[in-house]
Amino acid sequence: MEELFLAVGSVDPTAVINAVLRYVFPILALVILGRCAVSLLTFRKEPEIWAWLTGPDGARYSVTHWETLLGRARSCDVVLNHPTISRTHAVLTRYDDGSWTISDVGSKGGITVNHKSVSMEVVGFGDTIGLGGVEFQLEPISKKQEVQQASERTKAGYGMWPGVTLFWLTIFQVLAAFVLSLGNESTQIFPAFCLLIGLQWLLFGFTKILRRSGFEIEIIAFFLTTMGMAVIASDAPQELTKQLICLAAGIVVFLIVCWALRDLERAKKLRYLAVIGSLGLLAFNLVFGVEQFGARNWIYIGGISFQPSELVKICFLFVGASTLQRIMTKRNMFLFLVYSAMVCGCLVLMNDFGTALIFFAAFLVIAYMRSGNFATIALVVSATAMGGVMAARFRPHILRRFSAWGHVWENALTTGYQQTRAMMCIASGGLFGLGAGRGWLKYVGASDTDLVFAFVSEEWGLLLAIMLILAVVVLAAFVIRSAEVGRSSFYTIGACAAVAILLLQMMLNVFGTVDILPLTGVTFPFVSNGGSSLIACWGLLAFIKAADTRQNASFAVKLPSKRKMEEEALCNVSRGVCCCFWCSWV
Amino acid sequence: MQRITRRMLLLLVLMGLMLVGTLVFAWRYAVSSDEWVVFSGSPHVYSGGNLSLGIVTDRTGTVLLDSTNGRRYADDSELRKATMHLLGDRYGYISAPVLNDYADELIGFSKITGLHTLSDTTVQAKLSISASAQKTALAALAGRKGTIGVYNYETGEILCAVTSPTYDPDAMPDIEGDTTGTYGGVYLNRFFQTTYVPGSIFKIVTTAAALEELPDAQTKTFFCEGSCRIGADTINCNGTHYTQTLSQALANSCNVAFAQLAVELGADVMTKYANKLGITDSLQFDGITTAPGSFDLKDAAESQIAWSGIGQHTDLINAAQFMTLMGELAGGGDAAEPYIMKQVSNGYEAKRQTVSVPLQQKTCEILTEYLRNNVITMYGQWHFPDLYVCAKSGTAELGPDEIPHATFSGFIQDANYPLAFIVIVENGGSGSATCAPIAGQVLKACCTAMDAER
Repeated sequence: MEELFLAVGSVDPTAVINAVLRYVFPILALVILGRCAVSLLTFRKEPEIWAWLTGPDGARYSVTHWETLLGRARSCDVVLNHPTISRTHAVLTRYDDGSWTISDVGSKGGITVNHKSVSMEVVGFGDTIGLGGVEFQLEPISKKQEVQQASERTKAGYGMWPGVTLFWLTIFQVLAAFVLSLGNESTQIFPAFCLLIGLQWLLFGFTKILRRSGFEIEIIAFFLTTMGMAVIASDAPQELTKQLICLAAGIVVFLIVCWALRDLERAKKLRYLAVIGSLGLLAFNLVFGVEQFGARNWIYIGGISFQPSELVKICFLFVGASTLQRIMTKRNMFLFLVYSAMVCGCLVLMNDFGTALIFFAAFLVIAYMRSGNFATIALVVSATAMGGVMAARFRPHILRRFSAWGHVWENALTTGYQQTRAMMCIASGGLFGLGAGRGWLKYVGASDTDLVFAFVSEEWGLLLAIMLILAVVVLAAFVIRSAEVGRSSFYTIGACAAVAILLLQMMLNVFGTVDILPLTGVTFPFVSNGGSSLIACWGLLAFIKAADTRQNASFAVKLPSKRKMEEEALCNVSRGVCCCFWCSWV
Repeated sequence: MQRITRRMLLLLVLMGLMLVGTLVFAWRYAVSSDEWVVFSGSPHVYSGGNLSLGIVTDRTGTVLLDSTNGRRYADDSELRKATMHLLGDRYGYISAPVLNDYADELIGFSKITGLHTLSDTTVQAKLSISASAQKTALAALAGRKGTIGVYNYETGEILCAVTSPTYDPDAMPDIEGDTTGTYGGVYLNRFFQTTYVPGSIFKIVTTAAALEELPDAQTKTFFCEGSCRIGADTINCNGTHYTQTLSQALANSCNVAFAQLAVELGADVMTKYANKLGITDSLQFDGITTAPGSFDLKDAAESQIAWSGIGQHTDLINAAQFMTLMGELAGGGDAAEPYIMKQVSNGYEAKRQTVSVPLQQKTCEILTEYLRNNVITMYGQWHFPDLYVCAKSGTAELGPDEIPHATFSGFIQDANYPLAFIVIVENGGSGSATCAPIAGQVLKACCTAMDAER
């Protein structure tokens, strides 16, 4: 600050503004991220109770998921300590319409519904379920109680209102647009940022209309998108319009995927469409693709270019995610393996090594989530590693990347060119950056995509760049935390795989830039300049959103209808009694 | 669902990897960002192929290099020549390890604020050298190849570090096309980067070993008939000295006495003391790593041991290291480690670091007495008016047809002028005759510079 006071009056006022704002931005970012993190990571895990199981001895077990594993093992959701009940006995499944089924998952004693031996059967209110001869009664909670439960659970964002966080983000964006416009002749920067702000408030308003109060996940995405826009504004302002259009498209995709995920049955059906769609897209890409930067993964239609492989990521999750019932009854993942191999194969044919790696890793994550078996996965990994070595033999440019890894300073003029410049620029920026638009890395190829971490670091400072990493880490931590109160494994696996893809992309991007890993040319989620990538990231975000079971958090999670809520409220008032859900049930 | 939840462990691992990787990078940033930022060609810090290092001055503020806008050396051509090996040339033939080591400070880099700066104040670096001493030293070498170093063994400041040949960076000669040999090895800084056959100045090491290892060393006498036979070899002396004590033998620089002494001490003891006195070590300071000397008596014959004791055989010393050893003897075993970067305007200030030679203080005192005796009885105090100089000369034999290198090293035992020095003139002939007058001029210049600061 002393430096600042001495300098004021003798230097360019824009430099003074920049000198002040470079300290303001990390603080604002910390406030925005901090508020989102507190909200997402400290929410009270209030389980949603969907039904009760009453045992022969009168014991009552709450059913807190849509998919509940029953058995003797401690790892079951409802642990039933009867010697005739198998360790993992049956899966009790609830459907969107409130109906239930019970499925045998290879038990010794078998299951009965109303004394009739079955392997899978619809269960209704009051039905008797026999597990290895021990009889239980299913007592589903009524719609009314469901409404009541919803009204009593803590609303998402309570105490750390997303509207306030969004306000801080808006301040950040206005200041960013201002400081970016200072040294730039482009007239597009301010309007572009205004539109960005408009879009985010529009989405916020829309979710408010839908009675949703959780918006932290979207704010994190908008924060990352803002940094992406700032990079483009500094590097290629003429591309801002394209990026904005893609953002709008991304939000539409986000809403569509959220809608698709609202209904689990619909989501499950979409799986088949996703297989056909993704393989079709990749086949189309293989035939009509255009080579750019060494990979033939671009499609040009009417002057617009896009990367179909990015959109395939969304399809991949639809295909990969699976319900508990399916996981426990059909343990074979052969079809998914074949599908994954086809996707990765197409990408290898396109020379898109980075994306193939992402899909392979996503496959491993899903495979593990579904099987829980490291041994199988180890086998797949070693087989693929051998395949990878073979592939690398035939693809010298991949080997070249690996050869530079860890030795970039010795190869600063050849294979280490980008990484050395990136690290030089990161150092130049220090912790607070040289100021938006004042960097040099923009003159290095792919700086706004592959090296975007260094780009942000140079202009906005290492602190802010690290906050970008933390933003995605917060999403991951949230997914881990919310898994415990997840409704269906379909959502949990989907969210886990989505966030794993985001994490892996970020890992390859950031660590590739700074020579901790080989540079693979993968985009930084939401931040890297690239329309297809941005759209895909918003699509993936919907999967995270669908796992957000905090009350009224997510458009991707259905709420009891408003009319029923109102009826219930009226009913309570007329009775004048405490009808708290917990009082009446617990 | 619980099972699926447990499998979230995988995501936790991924998250952990991301965080660990980020920490690794943060660590690398903390350790190496000062190296990254001065990466060759960075538009932030380079102009015209050279680092924009601000202004570099000598200890009195005389500008030696202004690289704020391009690269402007001192106005005086002789000073440009005398300092070029410390500042680097225009084209990267001669590097400047000192400036490179402090480059991050000189370009105004901080790991917190990066290169961001609001004010246009230029960073100033002050070297410990004296411009006048540098010029005097270069002039005293008079075009001969060699090196001269002087440093304050109490503070560590190097006042003079000259290497010759050199050239004016503003008028670079045609070095490639030169056939006269004038510029042989011009790209080397002979003070830091090369090693020399020491000749008789190495007898200081042998004397130190004798004083510590032989109880009767001070009273012992040696007989010199002008030569002696050791093993199959004849050791010739520079004269016939007859009976002499160790002190007299050192003053006479008697090869016969020191050959016998080395043989008496044996290969192991000689090697032990060469190592103890740091002959084979490198000094490291201010980004400089001095060339290590050598002393190798593995499987040596008796005559080779004898030659090694008089600074021949395969003995090699580095000038900067030997100068530091002189400082340590002067300080009774302890001295300040030399440095050349005194101060950088945005914060750096050199601090005294102590270096020690593992000799008894008594040994150092006796050696000081002996070296003082050399000056009085042999080299001539008139070379060093009013200065209590203790020294030893050397004439390093190279080969049958080559004129030997002249070497001269020692120190001033005076609290006002605690200076240690070394002078090496390649093919300069007799050590004392050639080097003592040079040492006298350079020490005088250094003392004048020190007086001016009082």
